[in-house]
Amino acid sequence: MRRIIAQARKELTQVGRDKLTLTLALFLPLVLLALMGTAISLSVTDLPIVVQDLDNSPESRRYIEAFRNSLTFRIVELPTDEQPEESLLDNHARGAIIIPEHFGRDLERGMNTEVQFLVDASDANTANIMRGASTAITLNFVKNMRSAIAVPIKADVRMWYNPGRESSTYIAPGMLAVGLSLFPPLLAALAMSREGEQKTILQVYVSSISAREYLLGKIGAYWLIAVGEWVLSMILAYFLFGLSIKGDPTPFVVCTGIYLFTTVSFGAMVGVAIPNQAAAIQAVQIAGFLFSYLLSGSIFPVSNIPFPFSIISRIIPARYYIVVARDALVRSGDWSGVWHIPLILLGIGMFFFMVAWRNTRKMQVNA
Amino acid sequence: MKNATQIQQSPETAIFVRDLRKSYGKLEAVKGVDLGIKQGEIYGLIGPDGAGKTSIFQILGGVMQETSGEMSIYGKTAREARSFVGYLTQAFSLYQDLTVAENLRYIGDLRLLSKREIEERGMKYLRLFDMDRFTDRLAGRLSGGMKQKLALACALIAEPRILLLDEPTTGVDPVSRREFWDTLAELSDQGMTMVVATPYLDEAERCSRVSLIFDGKIVETGTPKELRENLGLQRLELRADDLSKAEEILNQVEKIDDVQRFGDRLDLMVADAKGGEKLTREVLQKEGVAVEGFHVGQPTLENTFVAVLRDLEGKLTAPPFPRKRHFQERSPEAVAIGAENVNKIFGDFIAVKDINLAIKYGEIYGLLGANGAGKTTTIKMLCGLLPPTNGVIELAGERGSTRSQHVRQRVGYMSQKFSLYDDLTIEENLDFFAGVYGVPLADREEKKRWVMEFSGLQGQEKMLTGELPGGWKQRVAFGSAILHEPSVLFLDEPTSGVDPLARRAFWKMINELADRGVAILVTTHYLEEAEQCNRLGFMVAGEVVAEGTPTSVKAAQTGHLIEFITDKPQAASNLLKKEMERWRISLFGDRLHVVVEENVQTGINNLKKRLTEAGIKVFDAYEETRSLEDVFIAVVESKREN
Repeated sequence: MRRIIAQARKELTQVGRDKLTLTLALFLPLVLLALMGTAISLSVTDLPIVVQDLDNSPESRRYIEAFRNSLTFRIVELPTDEQPEESLLDNHARGAIIIPEHFGRDLERGMNTEVQFLVDASDANTANIMRGASTAITLNFVKNMRSAIAVPIKADVRMWYNPGRESSTYIAPGMLAVGLSLFPPLLAALAMSREGEQKTILQVYVSSISAREYLLGKIGAYWLIAVGEWVLSMILAYFLFGLSIKGDPTPFVVCTGIYLFTTVSFGAMVGVAIPNQAAAIQAVQIAGFLFSYLLSGSIFPVSNIPFPFSIISRIIPARYYIVVARDALVRSGDWSGVWHIPLILLGIGMFFFMVAWRNTRKMQVNA
Repeated sequence: MKNATQIQQSPETAIFVRDLRKSYGKLEAVKGVDLGIKQGEIYGLIGPDGAGKTSIFQILGGVMQETSGEMSIYGKTAREARSFVGYLTQAFSLYQDLTVAENLRYIGDLRLLSKREIEERGMKYLRLFDMDRFTDRLAGRLSGGMKQKLALACALIAEPRILLLDEPTTGVDPVSRREFWDTLAELSDQGMTMVVATPYLDEAERCSRVSLIFDGKIVETGTPKELRENLGLQRLELRADDLSKAEEILNQVEKIDDVQRFGDRLDLMVADAKGGEKLTREVLQKEGVAVEGFHVGQPTLENTFVAVLRDLEGKLTAPPFPRKRHFQERSPEAVAIGAENVNKIFGDFIAVKDINLAIKYGEIYGLLGANGAGKTTTIKMLCGLLPPTNGVIELAGERGSTRSQHVRQRVGYMSQKFSLYDDLTIEENLDFFAGVYGVPLADREEKKRWVMEFSGLQGQEKMLTGELPGGWKQRVAFGSAILHEPSVLFLDEPTSGVDPLARRAFWKMINELADRGVAILVTTHYLEEAEQCNRLGFMVAGEVVAEGTPTSVKAAQTGHLIEFITDKPQAASNLLKKEMERWRISLFGDRLHVVVEENVQTGINNLKKRLTEAGIKVFDAYEETRSLEDVFIAVVESKREN
């Protein structure tokens, strides 16, 4: 135990001495969180559309008015010498509504009528949203016009947990997980590979500290720093996005502790395997950032990940931590939905630790 | 030669090794080594680069598994023995960003010492090394010598019974090196056993016993004196008017075992001094070389080493350098490297103070000084990498503006730290340097072949440079610095960590270049090789304090060196150190060297009286010629005191 503490204290002294690294270590996760939380917005508003009203009746103008009133669309002028499809091509508009002649008259008569809605689907996601929104607006328009018609089932939608559908509420917990899976392991990997690179590790080998004690000391030190990063990130999330722990805090706190052990162990494993600081940074960045960002559900839903990446996604710790973080910060959850997650995280963490430990021990006699 | 059955395990054996072997894949690095090291010995391992010394250390230190063999350290296996073995590795195993005290504390904690023990012992050793003022300084800010002493203190803090020291003084200046060895002598007197590897053979002279290792096997073992005597050769110092010609002629004479050129003399190794002198005089007279003087000297350990290795490896031949460029003839008086009242000031720190230099074409100038004396800064200014604060620089015929393309083409620089890219292969490195220096494409193949041959690395072109041991890397770096046939060459510690045999190849090449009219400025911490320079400058704290030929620098020294043979050399050294300045006294194995200012006989009488009063028997005392290192230390220390 004394050796572990000695090792951890040495690491903390070294980090404390390197003011630049320390500042970056504490500051960068906040930048990432703030940037990603505010810059990325998933709600689509203000899409420019053009309208070609061939009918020009009170009904058709009312119909156009319904679009004008929605937050999703913004109606822009269709130049007189231009066809609607040309507006799409020159990026003047993302969609075009073409109202046929006799639109008003057919409606009056209770006949079926068709409105054409051209959508620029080169951005598939936005196109989907446009389709949904236009259908909803049209339905509403029809209902308002014929209030007498009885609708047998009415779906009454209530947005829970995030009633305003704020993107930041969705993204910030994900970015918290991504940030914590990038910076703490980066520091740990650097500290490990530096000892290999500068050969100070020989000093460790000739003393009788065991590989386990050595690793635990290092991981302990960087775990503490990671906890510091977490606390700062939580403070920022509260002030910037109004996120705080709702409900029972224990699942979140326990999972955070284990999650940080897992990510730091991952860094240690990389650092032991790659005794070269530059290469170790790359490895952690790819695995820690890219994988955690893309394959963990931080933004893109896990269920959409295609095979075989869906398998990789299952061993990415951030994927599990995000569930707990959203549960705690957005849904005020308790243990019932996440009881298995600490076990999974611990399992992955122990795996990283064992690999690091085996490699360290192997080097100790073969260096 | 010792064989296995002679080495017996006895109670006083600290380290016992029999038939130790280590293979890395197909390569067998250690091929059956036997060692029997007694308690309190300083046991030296010397051998060329790649002989297997570091492998032996790592096995003894318990960080590497032997392939086969028997080994015990006080009856324990190497891994079990780690608790009482201290290991000082080639690179300083220090944390540069921790302070002196924090480094000690960390190592102490790993060794499970109590807080009090760490503080007490830490201070004890720091005081012993005269470093107790620096406890709060970052290790990275210490000079090379102090770093090494701190690393030693870290190794000592657990009070080990055995110390393993793998080339502990590479890159450490002579003053610090001598202090370091004085400390080792004191520790060995207290019963600590030490195993030391070193490429510096003047250091090996201070060991109690030495084993010469070649190609993974022990070739010879004995006290330094025994080894020198076993050689059965004598050393003749020859001074003549044309050394280069004399060297060439004498190299052809069969009866002369070895010829080595120094700045103002040749060293000849012969079986019989009288006969050798006569023969040499005859041969040289016939060729018209005038002999100016002869002096018979003791062979050094370096002579022994070279002679033994030569028997094993065959005669050392540096391949002829492919010469392509033709320089215009210059008058021998033209200045190649010049400095007039050059200063360099960093903030409020004066790094270089009023340097005046005039180095001519064909001259080898040695710039010597302790770590941090300002040598590297001076070189950087001279070759135009750093602008001087004031003063005028002259380089290859241009004054002031030494950064022009034209000048660059004619200057070669081998720096101390960076010289080759570790992640390129040897060939890629050579291609790169040939490219940046504009070596004509047609000549490149031949030049590259020459470097590979000079380095003894034929067929290894595809090897990654980072995988080369330090000594070999230096050879390639040297080769690439002269690819473009510069007329001015700067060499900053070119032979650091290079074994004696390779060092001679370096100097043969340096001499050859100088004979062709290249001006060479070289720095080194190894003063024996500095004797090969034509002129020397000693730097202390940014100033050149003494200048001249090796002989004249030595002659300018007042005072005499007296060698004492006593029954308790360590006690005698401790006693005298209390009464005189520390630098005046040093221990060389069982001999004590003292520098006195008065007349030799009075000095001997006074000191003899003083030692006898303290109960130390003096068997013999006589004047010894001072080595360049003795002179250097005297100059540096007396300047520091002022």
